[in-house]
Amino acid sequence: MDVIVEQLTQVWAGSAGADLVALERFSHRFASRRFSCLLGPSGCGKSTLLQIVGGLEPATSGTVRIVDPARPGEARPPGADSVMVWQGLNLFPWRSVLDNVAFGLEVHGMPKGERHERARALVASVGLAGFEHHLPGQLSGGMRQRVALARALVLERPILLMDEPFAALDAQTKIVMQEELARIFDRTHKTVIFVTHAIEEAILLGDEVVVMSARPGRIKEVLFVDLPRPRSLEMVSTRAFAAIFDRAFHLIREEVMTSMAQQAAALGAA
Amino acid sequence: MTLAERTLPGIVVVAFLLAWEALVRARGIAPIYLPAPSAIAVYLWRMIADGSLPVNLGITLGRVLGGFAVAAVAGVGLGVLMGMSRLVARIADPWIAALYPLPKIALIPLLLTWLGTGEAYKIVISAVTAFFPIVISAYAGIREVDRGLMKAAEDLGASRRQVQLKVVLPAAVPSIFAGLHLGMGVTIILVIAAEMIGGSSTSGMGYLLMQAGQVMETEKVFADLVVLAVVGALIVKLQRWIDRKVAPWAH
Repeated sequence: MDVIVEQLTQVWAGSAGADLVALERFSHRFASRRFSCLLGPSGCGKSTLLQIVGGLEPATSGTVRIVDPARPGEARPPGADSVMVWQGLNLFPWRSVLDNVAFGLEVHGMPKGERHERARALVASVGLAGFEHHLPGQLSGGMRQRVALARALVLERPILLMDEPFAALDAQTKIVMQEELARIFDRTHKTVIFVTHAIEEAILLGDEVVVMSARPGRIKEVLFVDLPRPRSLEMVSTRAFAAIFDRAFHLIREEVMTSMAQQAAALGAA
Repeated sequence: MTLAERTLPGIVVVAFLLAWEALVRARGIAPIYLPAPSAIAVYLWRMIADGSLPVNLGITLGRVLGGFAVAAVAGVGLGVLMGMSRLVARIADPWIAALYPLPKIALIPLLLTWLGTGEAYKIVISAVTAFFPIVISAYAGIREVDRGLMKAAEDLGASRRQVQLKVVLPAAVPSIFAGLHLGMGVTIILVIAAEMIGGSSTSGMGYLLMQAGQVMETEKVFADLVVLAVVGALIVKLQRWIDRKVAPWAH
């Protein structure tokens, strides 16, 4: 499924008429079976964009259309074809691992036996066999992250939205999860939109890196990552990787400086 | 736990009782003012043996359970409705704001006029008092449910109704139980108080206390207090146990 975003603007109404423009005329086609990373300074509207694309937040103006490339004439509204993996995970703390993963199937009315069978397979596929009846609170951060991933994947929706999913993990766990996600992508070839502020992560995972400007969020540049798949961490030391990294670093550096200047100005004004 | 942590609390209790006993005996304090622990124990045993303690304790517990049950059903019910419907919340809010700060004991004369001195009055006064902390906690619990969880459920395909039943309600359980704890505490207080009000009762622990106090049987007063303290502690323990069974994830 292609995600076609056109002229998307999001304005948050602030106090005393001080409206905050989170996104301004953002247009991009997130192509089918492509892993796209959204890279930008904090506050540039990356998460907002993801919520709009996920149908969870209405946009101030502009459109998001979900289009099957095989049937380019039929556009669907955002929501039903995508599933989100949240920065804060948002696991249900009172539900076991199995029932967390089965939640999406449960609300769609699938009978208990069937949904547990499918959830069990997903739990096993993310390496958590034997932990089906644990509560999220009894798991480590990396394990909880796997539960969140399994809960999203079980619905088999063609679009996977990920909002800085690995930001809270320690460095080692993060590497393992990145490799796991890369493997899942190689197997399922979903359309992935992955929000991050880690340059290395964006290049390691993505087919393209959409670099965003500081607020209001716009596209600054789209970088193509022509590293072969399957990806591995060793590629970080290749010249191709270094070239993309340098370019992205340069772009981001400018935007972070702008963003910091904005914040300083805002503090000064207050 | 170190040896001191394990043994000292018990030793302190025993030492306290021994010191009390010694003080009363050495000074020859009259039992009307301060009976010795041994004398209290004797009275306690007699009251158990003649049945007055078990019978009155049973009556009081029955009233507590009755008042608490009414308050719990009404309080959780209204609190949940308020949390799920802005309209209900807006209608109920001024009533709760006006009635919550009112000391419920002040209602006793009115309730005696309306209901007489029977069981209805004791259950109503305790239920009305317990209702407020229960409804307020339930409402707050529903309102303060993590929006992220609700959005996640919506994203996974849950309808509004499913979000409320499968996310909001379970997420509010710890807060609802906290309200029930508070409610149980005030129910006990109000039932005992209602039983103590002059002439309004001929049974229950409050009546027993009042009666013993009036004839200066201070040993009995102490025996009653010991029983109330122990029973209160047991109820709190029981509630904590139920909490852990119902919402193990919150602990």
